[in-house]
Amino acid sequence: MTNGILQIARAAGEAVLATEGVHSLGTGRYAEAATYEGTEKFTGVVVKPDELEIHIVATYPLMRPIPDLAQLIRDRVATESGGRRTLVVVEDLEVADEGL
Amino acid sequence: MRVFNRIVVILLLVGLIALGAYTVVYSFELFGYQLSNLSSALNGFTSGVEGFVSDVEDGNLPALTIAILAAVALLGLILLFMEFKPRRPRRVRMQRGTYVVRDIVKDEVSSAAEETPNVLGSTTTVAAKRRPGAKVKLRADVRRGQDKKAIKSDLRERVQQHLARTGVPLGRLKLKLVESDPRQTKTRVQ
Repeated sequence: MTNGILQIARAAGEAVLATEGVHSLGTGRYAEAATYEGTEKFTGVVVKPDELEIHIVATYPLMRPIPDLAQLIRDRVATESGGRRTLVVVEDLEVADEGL
Repeated sequence: MRVFNRIVVILLLVGLIALGAYTVVYSFELFGYQLSNLSSALNGFTSGVEGFVSDVEDGNLPALTIAILAAVALLGLILLFMEFKPRRPRRVRMQRGTYVVRDIVKDEVSSAAEETPNVLGSTTTVAAKRRPGAKVKLRADVRRGQDKKAIKSDLRERVQQHLARTGVPLGRLKLKLVESDPRQTKTRVQ
């Protein structure tokens, strides 16, 4: 079950970052949100046996309400999640740096 | 650490410190205390406990002792109940599988308060509920003599609109308006 969890995390992370309204992946507020495999880790996505926990920093101002953004992320990572339940945690809002 | 655990640990540590101090004092025969006297000191303690237990058995306890014991039992019951209560979540649950940290809700409420006319400053506290939604307490500073009812209604509406825009379900909103001197409020003077 643990085979390839880092690949799952990376693929999910890439899909999340390609979602409009996501500024970056979060690092975890109370504990580090990461997937570990061997000596490597991927921060922002936690792959559990039956759950995929995605931590994000959303772009401010919000393009859509947070639940809609979470649904969009869920749809994006559906192929990578391998049937796992997807949790989305919005850790922060970051002002969009367009035009800078 | 929960309050129940904290009390237990504090009592345990106080007991250990007292025990350690007694051991040092009696081992090194400090302040005139000698190891040979320890048994008589312990006898005094055990006879005190025996006397108390026999008073309990005979029903000869003074009213104050009964009141103290009842209070201790009640405190224990309250602490036990608090221990069984599930912990309040750290993040605000929105809907199925979506969470947001409390600071985001706090910032949204604060910006709604800042946009409200006649509000000079605000302090917000946000708690996550076990069910979806946030519990918000907002204290807003206003000038003396302002129509508090109108400001409160406006403020409530703006907070609700802001949170609805972000999609955060509002569990409970507690508003408190405080008359303040504009020169002492942190945000601005209008």
